[in-house]
Parts: sequence; structure tokens; C-alpha cells
Amino acid sequence: MADHIPAGKMPAFVAQRQDAALTRGAIIGALFLIVMMPVGLIIYQSLLSEAFFYKSAKLALDAYAFILTDPAFYEALYTTVIIAAGMVAVAVPLGGVLAFLLTRTDIRFKRALEILVLVPMFISSIVLGFGYTVAVGPTGAVSLAVRHVIGFVPWNIYSLPGIIVIAGLSHVPHVYLYVSATMRNLPSDLEEAARTTGAGLLRVLTDVTLPMVLPGMIFAAALLLLLGLEMFGLPLVLGDPNGILVLTTYIYKLTTLFGVPTYQLMAVVAVLLVLITLPLIWVQRRLLRNARRYAALGGKGNRATPLNLGRRGQILALGAIALWLVISVVLPIGGIILRAFVDAWGEGIDLTQHFTLAHFKALADVPSLYHGIINTILIGVFGGIAAVFLYLVIGLAGHRNQGFSGTLLDYTVLLPRALPGLVVGLAFFWVFLFVPALHAVRTTLISIFIAYAVVGLSYGLRLIQANLMQIAPELEEAARTTGATALRTWRDVVIPLTRPGLAGAWALIMIIFIREYATGVYLMSSGTEVIGSLMVSLLQTGAMDIIAALAFVSIILTALGLFLALKLGARINE
Amino acid sequence: MIKMSAFAASTAMVILGGAVPALAQDVAAATKEGAVSIYTATDISQAETLVKAFEAKYPGIEVKYNDLGTNGTYNRAISEYAAGQVGADIIWTSGMDQELKLYNDGLLQEYKSTQLKDLPDWAAYQNTVYASTIEPVGMMYNTIAFPDGKGIPKTRAELLTLLQSDQRVKGKVATFDPEKSGAGFLFATNEARTSPDSFWAVSKAFGASNGKTYSSSGAMKESVISGENAFAYNIIGSYAIDWAKANKTLGVAFFSDNNAAFSRLIAIANGAPHPEAAKLFIDFALSKEGQESLAAKGLPSVRSDTSTGMNAKNLADAIGGPVTPIKVDEGLLEYMGQTKRVKFMNDWRAALGK
Repeated sequence: MADHIPAGKMPAFVAQRQDAALTRGAIIGALFLIVMMPVGLIIYQSLLSEAFFYKSAKLALDAYAFILTDPAFYEALYTTVIIAAGMVAVAVPLGGVLAFLLTRTDIRFKRALEILVLVPMFISSIVLGFGYTVAVGPTGAVSLAVRHVIGFVPWNIYSLPGIIVIAGLSHVPHVYLYVSATMRNLPSDLEEAARTTGAGLLRVLTDVTLPMVLPGMIFAAALLLLLGLEMFGLPLVLGDPNGILVLTTYIYKLTTLFGVPTYQLMAVVAVLLVLITLPLIWVQRRLLRNARRYAALGGKGNRATPLNLGRRGQILALGAIALWLVISVVLPIGGIILRAFVDAWGEGIDLTQHFTLAHFKALADVPSLYHGIINTILIGVFGGIAAVFLYLVIGLAGHRNQGFSGTLLDYTVLLPRALPGLVVGLAFFWVFLFVPALHAVRTTLISIFIAYAVVGLSYGLRLIQANLMQIAPELEEAARTTGATALRTWRDVVIPLTRPGLAGAWALIMIIFIREYATGVYLMSSGTEVIGSLMVSLLQTGAMDIIAALAFVSIILTALGLFLALKLGARINE
Repeated sequence: MIKMSAFAASTAMVILGGAVPALAQDVAAATKEGAVSIYTATDISQAETLVKAFEAKYPGIEVKYNDLGTNGTYNRAISEYAAGQVGADIIWTSGMDQELKLYNDGLLQEYKSTQLKDLPDWAAYQNTVYASTIEPVGMMYNTIAFPDGKGIPKTRAELLTLLQSDQRVKGKVATFDPEKSGAGFLFATNEARTSPDSFWAVSKAFGASNGKTYSSSGAMKESVISGENAFAYNIIGSYAIDWAKANKTLGVAFFSDNNAAFSRLIAIANGAPHPEAAKLFIDFALSKEGQESLAAKGLPSVRSDTSTGMNAKNLADAIGGPVTPIKVDEGLLEYMGQTKRVKFMNDWRAALGK
């Protein structure tokens, strides 16, 4: 408090600035430590000759030499890049068109569509993979029906193009979100001018709207590239039968290649992945800054008049959106539901004869499975609350922070995101194991929560920051001028004003925690299982019926979370 | 007199061997520990009856069951041991080579099981590591593609012919992936060791017919039932027997001349937090009662005196062909050597034409 400082020794505003800097520095410093422990461990491990906990481990570059001369690594790298680029090629145009239709035209059912088109981004990619296998795999229900009619199945989802199309379609909402945000801010007078001078709808889209939203689209493309590089669930499920490996699944394979886990090699791949993704994140952030600037150029207060689609246009547009939703939501979720309730499927099988509830009975009977469900709910609901609180504190520390600690925060947040969740989870497992002070939490849900909170940091923080940015700086300045400390300003001014937005953020973080799967694989132990990681570990034995039942539960929980998010008025963004 | 004492001794042995009751003070010590923690790669659905029977027999000892997969089990065991934070009492894994490596590295604790003399010779190693199951490697097929199993090979030579010339398996054949699965690697290297000529010829034919490799038996089952694949070989046969019972579309088959069998190896972790409870659990898992509860879930017993499911004695009759268990000894470590391992992987890839 200001009055603790003897008058005359220090001008009040200096004291104020120092208390703010101190609080911020402390928070950001603590976060930096928490993030750097696993990240630093991974970097250190990559430079050793064997597992860091062996006394015989020596500093060596052998692991880098091995990976960088392994043809399988380059093959995986190539496949990863192709998949990421393919995903961009599929999702960006579609997402752009979708955004155009929903923001610039008079398309019917706009309200409902604005929510429906977001659904694909909430389905976990591992659930997606299973769903597609059952629905449109070589002997999936839909494939068999198609073959019945035309004599063959015209697609193969276990192929590179198959993975690309599926991944692309499921990432359309990400593009839509960014592009539609940019489009909403655009004035419509230019488009109207084009329309009145006789340009067709397509012409308006390509010649007028597109150039104006290009920065937003490039930004979305960069984001998608990033997501594509880190993708794990889809290639794990769909790439496995034909031996298609991406970097994240290559890490997985490195383990069996040598009979025992070769941590140094896993770490090297993780570090290389960071080296590839960090520049991308940096570029992406630069673009974001520019994109905002472009959007700000639009005329303010000029309400957009929607373009008239016409009857044919309406049918065409709605039909296309419906088709896309059927492919990316109805097919996989239908597949999961189907598989969860039957004990056999495929060629020559009458599904009505195979209906069963046995898989769900197993969920209720087997301790690890029902623990998994309960824990997932606990982590989603309470972990979500704790995470919102943490992210809020961090968000406040970075809020209007132009100093060194602000920049440090920016990069600290990005680091865990650039690493595969599986590896972050493994590193956290070691941190909890080898830091004596943390032993007590290792086998509790808290350890999983901490890892989740760090993995979800960049997403969650962005949700919070979006809320904080809405508060006019004058309000904070007023509090500060009247002598309030930084903490007091946050407590009495900023937090109360952001409270409504926090509820929505909580619901969205809850969904993220529910569908997370890679991070917990190494962390969970008896009693701390979570659904997502259970699915990954069950995949090793191939208990598909239990996996389907778990996926079904996961879908229900996610749907509940999404419902809650909408009720609470969450602002959904990536 | 000599006869008499021999008789007495054998009677004593029968009494002891029948259902060796654990000594009261051992049970008391174990109960005082209150729990036994198991790191394993066995699905809980298959170990459920064993765990429940143990908990029913020894109330007060809670079984903490950690299903971690083979690599997860090994990873956690070595990490915790290095940190001096051992959490496992029992390490029970189908990664036979990994268990032997743990033994070699001093991570396992010696314990002479009370059940030792009821186990076959090959099933116990250095009074530390025990084979808890005997699970034959086998084949699965789709019964719509192969009605009544007609055309399913009886020998390795017939398997080769099938892969080379039967149109039904063209592009529709699956096998365990030695590159991605520890069990797959074990099966493949065991074949390569015991019948190298047929193994490499079969692998070449498999590659030539565009076969697909999978990292789990369950995923292969799914693909065979759905008709995506017509046939799969080198799979965990004991699983397949159970699956085939529940599903008419799935058939299971074994060779009539010789079948390999692997085991889930069980041992006490060095530094186990509940050593007494661990001893009790090992003895129980290897006892007639414990083995029967595993056999009830399709994991054949290594004993010969069980009356539920399959066991070491009736297994050959049950599957229609002799069984040669993979021996529990240093031989398992042969492919842990990196040069040998990498060479095998390269040969494998070359055979498949990758």
C-alpha cells in the first residue's frame, strides 16, 4: 500500500510502478519456471547419450546424428509437411467461403448455422479417427452401402489423401472463426458497389472481399500449418494400418525400434519440432498484429448490408454446408455411436443381431474405466475453474505489460504448445518423479491438472486476454491515479468487469480438458485415469469396443460442455 | 522304512502342493501393508477375475492395478527406480525381453515362489521371474471369406502357399507389426530364430500381396471381423479363441505341427513398497486358484492341474497342434542388442519390399 512508504522518500508514482512491476515479474517468473522445467528437461535429454537418470549418461550429439541420418525421420517429416500443407489447402478455401456465406450474405438459418459450423473443432481427433474407421473405413457402414450400389468403394481413408481430407474438413471451423472475425469488420460499401455495377456473387467474393480478408486467411493458414505439424490422434488411428508415419507418431515408434524407450531420440524429435514450429508461431503472431491493423482500416459504424443469395444460391449454399457437416460430424459421431452399441460390424453382418450394452456395463464395472470418467469430469469442471483462475492471474500480469516480462511471457506461453503433448506429459512425469518436493502430488490428479494447464496455456490465456482487452484502459488508469496498487486495481476494477466473460472461458477450457488425450498417457496411474489417455493406452491392446464406449461418453461430455459454453455466452475462438 | 519315509515325504508334498495355504504370519504382514501395486500390460478385463479373487481371499489388501502397456510398464519401472521412488510391487508384462532386461539391470527382487514345483521347468527363471501364462501364437480368419475354415493353412508351408496364390488374401492379409509392437517383435524374431527359412519366405510373400501390419491383435481382430482383411497370422491366439467364441464371423486356427507360445512374466520389483503383499500376490497368481481365474478369461495356465479353461497339459489338444513355449532365459535378450535389432528391422523392411 502506498501509505506504507514514508512520505518524501519516494514519489508515489514510482512506488506504484514498482509494485506493479514486482507483482508482474513474480507471476511471470514463476510461470517461466513451471514451463521451463519440462521443456528444459527435454532439451537437456536430447543432448545426452541415454536416459538422463542413468549415471552413465554423457553429453553427446549421437541422438541428433541418429535422427538426422535416419531415412524414416525424413519420410515422417515429409509426410507431416504434406499433411499440414494439404490440410491448409482443403480447409482455408472452404473456411473462407463459409465465413463469407455466414457474414456477408443473407443465408437462411444464420443463427443456428453460426453455432453448428463450430461443432467439428470440438471433437477430439482420436475420436474422429475411430468414428471414420467405422463409418467410412474399408468395410464401414457407409462404404458397404456405397459398394452395394456402385460395386466398389471410391475412397480409402487409410491413405495420405484420406487423412488430409479428413483433417482438412475437421479444421474448417478454425479458418471460419478467424476469417469471419475479419469479415465482420469490413464495410460492405465496396461489395455493394461491385454488385450494382453488375458483378456476380463469385466475382464479388474473389475480387473484392478476398483481397480485403487475405491477411486473416494467411493467419489462419499459418495456424493450421501449426496444428497440422502437431497432429497425433488422426495419423495414429488412420495411418497405422498402412504404415504412414508423421513426426508425432514417429516418436511413438522410436520406442519399439530399440526394444526399450530411447528418450534421447524422442527428445531430439521434440526439439526439432519446436525448431520448426517456433518460427511459424512467431510469423503467425506478426500476421495477427497486421491482420488487426487491416481490420481497423474498415469504416466504423458502417453496418454491412448482406448480399442477396437468391433462391438457387440459398439451396446451393445450404446444401454444401449440410454436406460438409454430414461428412465431418454426422459420419464420425454416427460411427462411434454405432460401434459403441454393437459387438461386430462390417461385411455380411446384420447389425440388429449384434446390439449390445456390454461395453457400457464394462465402463461401470471396471475400476480404471469408471475412475477415468469421473476423473475426466473432475478435471473438466474443477480443473477448468482452477485453470481460469491461473490464466487470469497470468493474463493480468501480462495485461498492458510492455516491459521485458511481457515479452518473456509471450514466448513462455508458446513453448509448450510447440511440443507434442505426449512428450510434455512424459517430461512432467519425470519432473514430478525427480523433484522431491513434488513427490506428494505425483500420483494424484493434481499432476495431470498441472500438465493440462501448461499444455492448454496458450489457448486458455488467449480466451482470458480477449476478455481483458475489452476493458477500457481509462478505468484502470483512474484506479491507479487515485492510489490503488496493481493488485487492488485488478481485484476491484478489472476482475469484476471480466467476470461474465470468465464463465464462458471456463466452459471452453473444460471442453479442452475433456478431449485432451496425449498429455496424460505417461502421467496417469491407478486411480488417476482420464478418458482420453485411456483410449490411447487401450489402443495398444486394441480393445475397440471399450474405446468406442469411452469415445461415446467423451462426446456426450463435450456436448454438455458446449451447451454450457453457449448458455454462458462464451466467445468461441481458437 | 525307506519306502515309508518316501511315502511320507510325498504325502507331505501333496498336502503342501495341493493348495499351499500361506502362513498366517505372512498374511498378517501383507495385510498390514494394505495394498499391492501392479504395473502391467495385461488388460484389466482379462485380469479382473484374478484381481477380484485375490482381494476376496485377502481382504484388507487392495490391488492397485496400473494397465500401462509394455512400454509404459518398462518406462515407469526404470524411471521410478532411478529416482528412488519405486511405486511397483509387481511387474507383470508380456514384454518378455523387457522383463529379462529389468532382471539383468537389477530391478527385480528374488523370491522363491511357494508354487515353484507345480510350474514347468521353463516357466521359472533364477527364482525371480515366473511365466504366468502360456499363450499360443495363432491365426484369425473371416468366416465369410473362409467358410468352415476351409483353405486355412495347417503348416508354415501351407501358409506360404496361401499368401502366394490365394486370391482371397490378396491385399487382405494382416500381421503383427514388429516395428511398432513389442509382442509383434517377439513373435517375429522367435519365428526368425526357430524357423528362419519359412519366416523370411512368408514375410516376402506377405509384402508381395500388399499385406497390412498392425500394432495390436485387437485392431487386427476388428479388421478381420469387418472383412477389411480376410486373414491374419502371428497374432495372440488365446485372445482370438475368446473372440471367436463371441463372434461367428471370426475363426481361429493353429498349425498342426508346431506353435510358439509366449508368456506374461511376473516378478517382484526391487524396492517394492509392499514386498510381503507382493509375495502373496505372486504365489496367488501362480496357484491353482489364481491360474484358473486367469484361464477363465482366456489366458491359459502354465500349470497342469487346473480345471478351468486351457492349461499347459491340454493346450495342444485344444488347439490341435503341439506348443513350444518361448523359453524364459537370457536368449530373450539376444535381440536387445542394438546391432542385431537394427539388422532384423532392416531385413524385415527389405522382405516386405519397403
